[in-house]
Parts: sequence; C-alpha cells; structure tokens
Amino acid sequence: MTHRLTRRDLAALLGAGAVSRVLGASQARSGRGRVGTAEIPPHARPAAFSRAVGDAVRRSTGMDTAEAAFRGLFGRRDTVGIKVNCLGGPRMSPRPALVEALVEWVAGAGVERSRIIVFERSSRELETAGFTLRKKGGASLCYGIDNDYDRAPTVTGKVASCFARMVSTTCTALISVGVVKDHDFAGVSAGLKNWYGVIHNPNKYHDSNCDPYVADVVRHPWIGGKMRLTVLDGGRAQYQGGPAFANRGVFDLGMVAASHDPVAADAWAWRMVEEERARRALGTLEDEKRAPRFIQTASRYGLGVGDVKALKVVGA
Amino acid sequence: MSLNRRDALGLCAGMAAGCLLPRAARGAKPIIGGSVDLQDLPAREASWYKKLEHLKVECGLCPQECIVADAERGTCGVRENRGGTYYTLVHGLACSVHVDPVEKKPFFHVLPGEKALSYATAGCNVECKFCQNWEISQFRPEQVASWYLPPDALVRIARQQGATMTAATYSEPTVFWEYVRDAAVAARKVGLRPLVVSNGYIKPEPLREVLPLLEAYKVDLKAMTEDFYVKQIRGHLKPVLEGLEIIKKAGTWLEIVVLLIPGLNDSEAEAVRLARWVKGHLGPDVPVHFTRFHPTYLLKNLPPTPVATLERSWSAARAEGLNFVYLGNVPGHRGENTVCPGCDQVLIHRVGFSVLKNRLKGGACPNCGRKIPGVWS
Repeated sequence: MTHRLTRRDLAALLGAGAVSRVLGASQARSGRGRVGTAEIPPHARPAAFSRAVGDAVRRSTGMDTAEAAFRGLFGRRDTVGIKVNCLGGPRMSPRPALVEALVEWVAGAGVERSRIIVFERSSRELETAGFTLRKKGGASLCYGIDNDYDRAPTVTGKVASCFARMVSTTCTALISVGVVKDHDFAGVSAGLKNWYGVIHNPNKYHDSNCDPYVADVVRHPWIGGKMRLTVLDGGRAQYQGGPAFANRGVFDLGMVAASHDPVAADAWAWRMVEEERARRALGTLEDEKRAPRFIQTASRYGLGVGDVKALKVVGA
Repeated sequence: MSLNRRDALGLCAGMAAGCLLPRAARGAKPIIGGSVDLQDLPAREASWYKKLEHLKVECGLCPQECIVADAERGTCGVRENRGGTYYTLVHGLACSVHVDPVEKKPFFHVLPGEKALSYATAGCNVECKFCQNWEISQFRPEQVASWYLPPDALVRIARQQGATMTAATYSEPTVFWEYVRDAAVAARKVGLRPLVVSNGYIKPEPLREVLPLLEAYKVDLKAMTEDFYVKQIRGHLKPVLEGLEIIKKAGTWLEIVVLLIPGLNDSEAEAVRLARWVKGHLGPDVPVHFTRFHPTYLLKNLPPTPVATLERSWSAARAEGLNFVYLGNVPGHRGENTVCPGCDQVLIHRVGFSVLKNRLKGGACPNCGRKIPGVWS
C-alpha cells in the first residue's frame, strides 16, 4: 500500500524528529524500538517503585544511570505533563505511588516540581483512581483537564478535535503513563491510546479498531512533538475484558516498562497481552478481529517501532 | 450530590426567568459547567439497546449500531455503558433553550408566524464537517453548560413564553430520544405541538414509536450520494431515505432541508435526482428547502453558496414537479414565499424568519381555492 506524504504527514514527522533532537546524541545512540523493563510486584512498597521506574527508564535509554537518563530526557525549562490513564478506576490504573516515583525522577532532572503536572481527563477520575488533587503550591501538581480545551478544532489525519490546552499550550514535554490492558475495540490500551484522553471527542473514534485515529492523535505535533517518555505500570495487567476493570481478565505481570519510543512501548504491551492470552488458550486479538492495527499505523507514520519481533527489550 | 425536587424547581425557576435573555445575562447558573459533576446526576436507563456478553451493549437507536464496552460511550457521547447497563446521560439536561419563530427551524407549512420553544442537549450521532452548532453537537454533556429542565418544566416555560410548539433541535434529537419522547407527551397534555428537527439518522423502530407523538418532523437530507455521507458526515444515506418514507407513511408532517455546499453537493444534476426521489417516494407536496452554506467548523475553506447556485437547484426541483420549494439563508428572496401551485399567487410572504403576510384561508388559496398541505391551525 502506498502512502502519499501530505503536508500534515510532514508536520507530524517533523514533530517526531523534534523528539529525537531533544533526546540528544546519547539517546539517539540507543536506537528506537528499545523497551526497558523492571520487576515490580502488584503490591510493592514505595521504595520499590522508585527503583523500578529508574531501572526501566535507564534500561530503555542505555544510559549508565537513571539520573543521566532523566537528564537526557528533560531540561530545567520544561513543563512536564504526565498523562495517566485512570479509566480502569482504582484497580486498573497507574498506581499513584509509581507516578509519584516518576515525578521525583523528573524533578531530579532539574524540573521544578511546580512545573510537573499529573493529569487526566477529569479531576474526578484522578480522585477515583487514588490520586490527590493539587492545583497549586510548591509540590508537583495533579488535576484534570475537565473542560479546558482549545476553542477551535484542529485536524490531524482523520481526527478533528479540540485538544486539551494542557498539551497544546501548557506543557513542553509529555509522558504517557498507562497500564497494560486489553481493549474491546482497540485491542490494546497502553501508552498510545492514553492520548485519546486529551481530545474532546474520543467517542467519535472507536470504529475500525481505533485505526488510524490513535496514531493520528499521537502524530499531532502537540503530542508527537512533545512526548519524551512512555511508562507502563504492569504490576497487574489485563488480558481480557478491557478497557474497564474486569476481574476475570486480570493477571499479575509484575513489571514496569519504559521507552522513549511510544510505539515500541505499545508493541511490548501487545506482546504481554497476547502471551497471557496464549497461556490461557485464548485466541489472539487478530482472531477476535481487534488486533491493535493503530500500532502499525503509528509505525508507518514514523513514530516508532511497531514490529513486535523488532523490539529490543532490556530487562533485569 | 443527588438532585432533589427543590434543586430542580429552583433551577427551573431560574431558567424560566431567563430563557429569553442572552445566556450571559441569565440568573440561573448551569448545573453542568457549574458546580455539579455529570456523574452526580441521576442517569436514566436508555431505550433501544440490548445487552451482550462481557458487559458490552449494542445500541439500537441509530444506524451507527454502536457496540459499547463497559465504561465507554457510544459515538454520540451521551449514552454510557455502566456495568453492562446502557444509560442516557442527557434526559432533561438541556444545553440550549430559546423561543424561536417556527420559520427558523425551518417549518414553512406549520403554524406560520408562531413560536416554538426550542431545546437541545449536547451530542450528535454523526459528525458533519459543516455543522453550525458543533460547539454543542460535537461535545459531551459534561463539556457544555447545561440546565436541568425535565419535560414538565420545559412545557411550563413554553406556555409562559407564549409558544404554541416545542422543538427538539440545534444538536441531534435522536441522541436524546427519551427526552424528546417524554417532552412530547408532556407538550401534548397541555395542547402544545411537538416538533423535531433532525438529521434523520435513526433506526426505524424508535422513529416509528415517537412519530405518533409529534406534529411535524424536519429532516436534513445532506446529499443524495453515499460518498458525501461517508466523507462529510461519517454516516450513510440509505437509512435517511428509509426514515423519510417512514415519516411520510406515518402521516406526520414532513419538511426537508438540503444545505447546498459549493463543490460538494450543489450540482444541478443532484438537485434533479433529489427532486425526482422526493416526488417519487414522498410525493410532490413535501416542502424542500435549499439553504445557503456559510463557512464553519471544518469547512472554513469553502465560500458561501452563491445565490445563483441556490436558484439553479430551486428551479430544477420546481421543474421536476415539486410544489413547494424554498430557499433559506437568503433573506428577502422570493424563494422564501409560499406560492400556490394552482394559480401562482403568493400565499405567505416571508422575509427571513418573519411572516409579513399570510393570505391562506382555511388552509386554502383564497384565489383559486386549492388546498395547501400543512398544519395551519
């Protein structure tokens, strides 16, 4: 299939290129398709979260230390938005302790805590998932987009949406923090689909297995041009019944994964879901006609490596 | 927070006091976009859905036929699956309420010069790139300022404001079907005529159920090509045509609006095709309004429709034998007038939304006596 390069494509590619520039030479050396993992039990203590997040990010970048890895990703002038996916409620959302650990690592790279914002679609969803709202003060911030969207829609591929001002205006750098879970329509919801939470009308884009819509959202310069890191909380994961929490579909994966390649992170999550499904003698997502094709589309857009076989997973 | 009767009455009273004023001047604060979270409002179980395995539901309200996973919403954004039960989030949750002349809907053959209390909730089941009300139709209910206005309160306000009709309009009434139904029942009880202004993108069963409650139904027929429906609105043509036939057969008064967009659906051939279809399937007396496009939403790159283009379609449809063809968004044009098909006398003289003169006598032409179809009394 041919893909004609449009002006929009070019803008998205330039956005993706901006990521590489920011990452610096050492990051570029590590190559795309690299995913760092670390073990993290479902009921870990706070210290374990910090170590696991640091290890996963360090391994994903190929740097010698986690401190250096974060310094390579974020600068003092950044305002860092950490988008968490809390649709699954308290039982299938990124754990607040893990996110707090991530915040500390970002702060350790020199970013003022007041310029680190943990956010989700609504403040209510954050609270339901166990986060404590903070809209001001010296600590890092945590609040919902609520109704703070751009007033005019922008078009990116087949998506026409008003983006949250959090991503269009406020933040200079973004981190996607998702979980590893099955999704009834998209196939997998991990780091990429998390960005549906920054557009005002995600309900319009769930047909065709969310393809190419997820990739179209991510390639917008406000996302693709600012995204520095994806972190997936895989303490508990879900192989069936998502996106909502479904007890019958949950398993203990016991891992946190990180990558500065957002597509590779999702490809890894896809592999985790498929492996668990195979262990339980379930058909593949492809068998169920809901393979996450948006991952390949994102790869075709040049946003990262979507081929599961091409991933370089660096674990303990 | 649960909304008690006192809250509701207070909100409705505020609404009644302010519904004719510009929104900024209204005394009543919106409950959504104000201090109340949508999730705190009582949701009603939706009609027209079936439960599937794994807590999924399949919506049967419109041809999108959304299959919705737990915790997700349909494409309309106003119906939500909560643990395998499907809910409408917008019953009684109005985001726009105004008293409009019925000509603004437009209905040209329904009680000319009278007023309709017009209301809408957030949400729509399609996504027209040229939507003029996209700021409510393409948003979720929690994203727009809304007022709690249950059917009884809606009807009370209509009477207070001297309206003789209610009109579900602005966004897409199909997505707030339960609200439309219950408001229509409430309106009928006090002698008001309920109207619906819709894209016609609704499944036959819910359409048939609501039609006996309604006085008139206006359908936006976006184009006569499937390609246009797929590319410009993310829908399909066939269900709309089927819906038009159902409305006609039910005996509910029907008018059709066609927005002509330069280069997309404004050819003379398409106007001819449309006129032939209307005449063949609905009859020559169904009014067809060709209206002028103005650049908006995602089609700001196109120019307004030239008046000459509108006139070309108008002439073509009349030449095909349609008796009542109108032009819209061209104030002062003779295409706004109702003309007797028998003797060519002007029967209703309009400028914009105003009726300057209505010469109909008992629903007939005073000159030749020809009966003019419509709802005249």
